[in-house]
Amino acid sequence: MNNTVLELKNISYKYKNDLILNKINLKINSGEKIALLGKSGSGKTTLISVLNGTIKPTQGEVKLFNKSFEELDRKQKSKITTIWQDLRLIEDLSAEQNVNCGLLAENNFYFALKNLLNISSFKKAHKYMQLCKLHNSIYDKKIRKLSGGQKQRVAIARSLIQESDILLADEPFNNLDPKLITTIKYLMLESVDKNNKKKSPKTALIALHRLDLLNDFDKVIGIRDGKIFFNVKRNNLKKIHLDKIY
Amino acid sequence: MNKLKLNYTSLSFLPILVCIPLGFQLINNIHFGGFKLFQEFLISAFDPKIDNEIIIIVIKRLNETILIGFFSWLVSIIFGAIFGIISSNIYYKIFNIPNFFYRIIRFFLTIIRSIHEVVWGILLMQIYGINFSIGIIAICIPYIAVNSKVFAEQLETIDYKSFESINQINAPKFSSLLTLIWNPIINTFKNFGLYRLECSIRSTVILGLFGAGGIGTSIFLSFQTLNFRELWTYLWSLAILIILSGLIFKKIKFNSTNKILSIFFIAVFFITILFSFSYFLYFIFNNFENFNSITSLFKSSSELGLFDFLKLILETIILSLLSTGIAISLPPLVIGIFNNNTSKIFIKIFAFLLRLIPTPVILLTLLTFNNPSVSLAALTLGLHNAGITSKLLFKNLDSQDKKNYIAMKSLVISKKTSWLLGLFSQQAKSYLAYCAYRSDIIIRETAIVGVIGSVGLGWQLQESLSSFAWQEVTIVLIAYSSIAIVGELINGKIKNSLT
Repeated sequence: MNNTVLELKNISYKYKNDLILNKINLKINSGEKIALLGKSGSGKTTLISVLNGTIKPTQGEVKLFNKSFEELDRKQKSKITTIWQDLRLIEDLSAEQNVNCGLLAENNFYFALKNLLNISSFKKAHKYMQLCKLHNSIYDKKIRKLSGGQKQRVAIARSLIQESDILLADEPFNNLDPKLITTIKYLMLESVDKNNKKKSPKTALIALHRLDLLNDFDKVIGIRDGKIFFNVKRNNLKKIHLDKIY
Repeated sequence: MNKLKLNYTSLSFLPILVCIPLGFQLINNIHFGGFKLFQEFLISAFDPKIDNEIIIIVIKRLNETILIGFFSWLVSIIFGAIFGIISSNIYYKIFNIPNFFYRIIRFFLTIIRSIHEVVWGILLMQIYGINFSIGIIAICIPYIAVNSKVFAEQLETIDYKSFESINQINAPKFSSLLTLIWNPIINTFKNFGLYRLECSIRSTVILGLFGAGGIGTSIFLSFQTLNFRELWTYLWSLAILIILSGLIFKKIKFNSTNKILSIFFIAVFFITILFSFSYFLYFIFNNFENFNSITSLFKSSSELGLFDFLKLILETIILSLLSTGIAISLPPLVIGIFNNNTSKIFIKIFAFLLRLIPTPVILLTLLTFNNPSVSLAALTLGLHNAGITSKLLFKNLDSQDKKNYIAMKSLVISKKTSWLLGLFSQQAKSYLAYCAYRSDIIIRETAIVGVIGSVGLGWQLQESLSSFAWQEVTIVLIAYSSIAIVGELINGKIKNSLT
């Protein structure tokens, strides 16, 4: 049975005269947890932007659930969520309003208005903020008043509240202490039900720098100069692989 | 000999050179017939007419002014926000609409904005006659376009990455739009909304001078009858209104997290839209016959010669340049020369009076001892706008860190030089940027002084309207609009290079 959820076929992306991604082929199967390794500027962020449809590749084809992005409706597109390296939160909104923005896809315009007027329910947002170990004293604080670590967890909570099938994350553990990294990594890699018990497996592709965080991943992909240099199972990852990209 | 170095400080003073040709023409045009009237005008400022009858008239006229000003402000700020949204690039990105439409809407708004509310007022009064709603409509038309520009500029500052992140959530498009624009719109309203109410009241007064009602009409009638004591009663009552409204505006703080207040504002927003649409339809159907007079536009002919027409365009451009020169350089020059606390108070009072007295009244007063000319119109417009630029300059200088100024004075450098290099030089860039914005307004205001002072396209417009020469009116309006649009483009470039 074909259980590929995301597929890149011969993807290249050129920005001005620079080739950022160079003929990338990649298949991501349902439930796979993939770590994406590479130096800064190797093309990790661009690859994630192509995978979530934010950037259109100069060449090649991206397929989500065996359909191109143009063929997908809004509901299908919302099955993919992204945690951006630069977080991309709305600075003038409070932490809980930002987390609630994750629910915009499954709600109507009236919900968006209520969220901005602070009269919507924040129950679900608070649940995810609690899971991300955010203290309730910061729930109604504007984003610009939060610390780097708090902002990072708000962005993660906004992404997790979408309960999407596929999670893409670009260096999501920046600004987090080791204890928090363990908690957040568990939340990102395992879907949980109401009782915080494991549910169905989640598909995830996470860009990382730290090699000590690789133990929960199934596969590791190495990227350098916009090209995939290796795509191996975590257990088969060798020093020789890492030498190719670092 | 040392060469003059052009920097922001010297560029702020250089335009004062316009005073040389201006002064030459003004001296040549002096006549002594009206000195007594001018003297009477000045003395009456300290002896305004105060009795029961005039107080009742003042209250009635101020009520009219406030009503026209408030309604035109409310409608123009709400529709300005709506047009600001649909003329901002964020709207087109979210809805994937081709940029072509965005350019068309912007161009349309630029044309609307380029024509001063007085011109709109005179045009509408000519077609529909004088009534209460003409004032509101005349202010609303250009104000909606002006406000939409400010809102659109604020919406352009939305971080593109926030847009990408909300877009990636795949929310319904209207939800994404609302979430992204909510705070920029509220912040623009907080920072800009009340200032526009003040502008709206000022415009109501000026339109009143041309017959749209309110205290402006009373000011004009008392000037026509040379009843200066009555005139000053109206002017002082207007001053009290402006000072009081300024004090009230300072106290008003919008709390966007207050749920009841937010819901109230949303209700006002929708009621205003509904009311405006219904009134618009009512107005159109009730004035359909008058509207037909526009068809005469195609029947009338133009007797305006090409040479005369080009001369009028040139006069309007010269008038704009001379006025802008005065508005830029006069405030720093006067503040710099008379740099002590007592002089500052006098300069502030004088600047307030220049802002308070409508330009047509200043011009009519100056006409008592000077023949009509481009220079006199430029002086009037320049002085009025210098009153406005000096307010901003004082505000910025007062709030500026004075350590450089103190340090320079401690080195026994003269007070004037310390002020120039230690204080003003740091403000010069932002001051020039504001003046670039102000010169847009000056170009539009040439219409007002043109009508009164017999110069430029403003005068021709009045003449053509009086003789129902609609083709001429159209040509003059196109010329006006073109000058304003070109001016706006040039000033936009200057402003961008300064900010």
